[in-house]
Amino acid sequence: MCISPTTNGGVQSRRPLDFLQTVNLKYVKLGYHYLITHLLTLCLVPLVAVIVIEASLVNPDDIHQLWLQLQCNLVAVIFFCAMVVFGSTVNVMTRPRSVYLVDYSCYKAPSHLKVRYHRFMEHSKLIGDFDESSLEFQRKILERSGLGEETYVPEAMNYIPPRISMAAAREEAEQVIFGALDDLFANANVKPKDIGILVVNCSLFNPTPSLSAMVVNKYKLRGNIRSFNLGGMGCSAGVIAVDLAKDMLQINRNTYAVVVSTENITQNWYFGNKKSMLIPNCLFRVGGSAVLLSNKSMDRRRAKYKLVHVVRTHCGADDKAFRCVYQEQDDDGKTGVSLSKDLMAIAGGALKANITTLGPLVLPLSEQLLFFATLVAKKLFNAKVEPYIPDFKLAFDHFCIHAGGRAVIDELEKNLQLLPVHVEASRMTLHRFGNTSSSSIWYELAYIEAKGRMQKGNRVWQIAFGSGFKCNSAVWEVLQSVKASPHSPWEDCIDRYPVEAVA
Amino acid sequence: MAELITFICKRTVVSTKPVQAGKTYPLSVLDRHMEENHLRMVLYYPSTGVPTKPGEITTKLRESLAVTLTNYPIITGRLQKNDEEQWMIKCNDAGLRMIEAKARGSLEEWLRNVDREKELMLVYWEEMYHKPYFWSTFYVQLTEFEDGGLAIGLSCTHLLADQTCATMFIKAWADTTVFSKMMHPPFFYPLPSQRPGNGKLNQTPYTALINHYKTSISKSIDIVDAKHTTVTLVFSDDMVRACIAMAQPIDGTDKSSPTPFEALSGLFWVCISKVKGMRNGLVDMSIRMDMRKVLGLDKGFFGNCMVYNKVHLEGFQEDNLSQAASSIGEVVAKMDREGIMDLIEWLVCKDDRSRSLMNSCDLICASLEGVDPFSIIFEDVIVPIRVSCYVEPVSALGQVLILPAKPGDGELSRVVMVTLPRDEAIKMCEHDLILRLSPTILMDVNKP
Repeated sequence: MCISPTTNGGVQSRRPLDFLQTVNLKYVKLGYHYLITHLLTLCLVPLVAVIVIEASLVNPDDIHQLWLQLQCNLVAVIFFCAMVVFGSTVNVMTRPRSVYLVDYSCYKAPSHLKVRYHRFMEHSKLIGDFDESSLEFQRKILERSGLGEETYVPEAMNYIPPRISMAAAREEAEQVIFGALDDLFANANVKPKDIGILVVNCSLFNPTPSLSAMVVNKYKLRGNIRSFNLGGMGCSAGVIAVDLAKDMLQINRNTYAVVVSTENITQNWYFGNKKSMLIPNCLFRVGGSAVLLSNKSMDRRRAKYKLVHVVRTHCGADDKAFRCVYQEQDDDGKTGVSLSKDLMAIAGGALKANITTLGPLVLPLSEQLLFFATLVAKKLFNAKVEPYIPDFKLAFDHFCIHAGGRAVIDELEKNLQLLPVHVEASRMTLHRFGNTSSSSIWYELAYIEAKGRMQKGNRVWQIAFGSGFKCNSAVWEVLQSVKASPHSPWEDCIDRYPVEAVA
Repeated sequence: MAELITFICKRTVVSTKPVQAGKTYPLSVLDRHMEENHLRMVLYYPSTGVPTKPGEITTKLRESLAVTLTNYPIITGRLQKNDEEQWMIKCNDAGLRMIEAKARGSLEEWLRNVDREKELMLVYWEEMYHKPYFWSTFYVQLTEFEDGGLAIGLSCTHLLADQTCATMFIKAWADTTVFSKMMHPPFFYPLPSQRPGNGKLNQTPYTALINHYKTSISKSIDIVDAKHTTVTLVFSDDMVRACIAMAQPIDGTDKSSPTPFEALSGLFWVCISKVKGMRNGLVDMSIRMDMRKVLGLDKGFFGNCMVYNKVHLEGFQEDNLSQAASSIGEVVAKMDREGIMDLIEWLVCKDDRSRSLMNSCDLICASLEGVDPFSIIFEDVIVPIRVSCYVEPVSALGQVLILPAKPGDGELSRVVMVTLPRDEAIKMCEHDLILRLSPTILMDVNKP
């Protein structure tokens, strides 16, 4: 079985340098971290002192001498000033524009689409396509999945037998996308005609005309809109879409970009008996999000977040990683997405590749020095030390790990040495909404907001894994203490969370 | 038979608010005795005159049904055996099944030509699976007529509900659709079982009732699969009065007049016995009545509350309606609170696991007068134009169901649905007593 719940028990061997765990050293490490962070300030203090002493020794004669010297070298002075002005203009013009997240919304389906465990098993049994061992397998996966009993399946699955059709898939897409966009436009108070860039991503459903064309049609967006539709890019496509929107916002000034992330369950339920392809039935659920990005400087005041970094890592060059999440037909011709047994290992590898690039961008100097020191020690002196895993808790205040499944969250919690509160948003999103694919990171962000934990200056790290195999990260900075927007998907149930997951 | 009814789809409808996990609901002794049976009801609604798209009404009703089911966790649950091997309901929001269908032609045309076989196509039913954990106990079918009109069919296992509470459920659904709230919410509580002053035995327990149940339980019946047909007769106010007059006790004692039920059931008892070829006596008959009022239970009580009792007659004179009616009347009078409580206590103590065949031995004559189907109004003032009830499987000897007629036809008017083997049904309609009263035939014997 490729997904098995991991416990923190078997972790000891991977922990670097056991003595770091002791409390005393924790405080030493913290002290070291503060020292390095404020090193520049500490060094500046003596420098400032020297300058002040020197300035106090200056008398009017010296200043007069300085003025005469400048007058003689007028050309040089003017040239120098011109260079400074020119340099600063070029700097201002070519600086990357800040991308602000004005608002976002996540779709919540109507309550009659909630599927409890019993109904999932009942419908699976009555469909008649699954044999006894497949039913039992799905039941076990469902129980250990971390999903609660309020996740949503599309309308087509309410029928016996399920009414799978392209029309039903379109209907699901319409309900989710339009539901999210209606809320977004209402909350952000933006007119559809002001949107200049539209990116829609949906991995498994790509009709013609595209879903982005469907959005343009419904909201009567303007004729010169830059629209994109990303298909087949898996659960990490949400971050890819944000990256694309960010790039487009560099070349198109003073405009809004809308990023819609969703998945489509209707035509992608697997009705066969191959175990590796049954798992998505138990995990994937209906959900979608819509995000409004802006490069207008006036939006800085009302925006919630600012996009700081996007780091994309693709492991597709490796054959095993490429085949790890693979959509194919089984021996009976039934289509499904098969997950390989190496999924966790490959995910771990992709994560390592991603944080190797991300680390230097976001980690404080103290952590980078430690990492560098252990790397040097290992390479040059062949010392038997474990590679140092930087403490990302010092770089980020909130983590939104794609809710791919309980095993993924457990694995990351262990690898990044996170505390339960850091992965709470991911676990609770998995419990309440299931795996909504590319939009799950937005549900998690909404959870943290609804809990009132977003403070100004906080940094958020969104990590998404997806087929390919890809690991993509987005880093946001909180611009103001954020409250949950109206019609948040957690509005009516946040008080019930966090819940204890069933072991 | 050309395809009159086209099946569109079958789906599961759940309540809008989930039930707390782990809730279970026990079934009463009266419920458990009805395991072999299921009931079916059909209500016909004419079109409102406003043109609607096909499927529009169905969607609206489906949504309001989901809201209604929030108050009926017992309907959306599934049957399970408890530790004592008795049926109970596990409230797990599994939902009920809804079938959507469409019919050709208009409602009026259908009603003119309908017979038992056709009418049963408007009510979907699935027999209990070997493992009932995934088996829905309730089925609702919505059939839209292409030229206007709607038929709502409800079927459910008799383990959970009798006609009264099934009707109250549909009424709650209608109220939710029109007013968004229920006028008569259901009550789920057990039957009264222990009497106050426990320990003091009843001086003269009503043994006849208990004996009837005793014999029915231990009897083994070969269910003869005779080809049954159902005839629906409407007795207007005057006709019922005439029948009561015929059923008056001859010896002029100051016994009160027979009730419409007693008179009509006596009438059919006599006619059916004759038709079955009984010369000197009447066929075995059991009457079945709703005991909610007798036990002091609210009309919203959800669960079986109908009790059977045998009627017998010594020394019957041919065509003597008053004798029949008065013996029925005697039995009805004896079914008072004391008698029913005795029965319930006996059943609880007996705790027998064997299947009982309450509805299978004798000719059954059920009083469904307490059921008030014509008050189920779905849209503005659209009242059902006809209501039919069935209890399946039918006893080998036949079944008579006495229902109220449309309001406006008079307080005493009644609709009687008689289910008999085909040839007997034809003969019964030609019986003297029936012809004398000349009731209107709503649904005739099906043409072969």
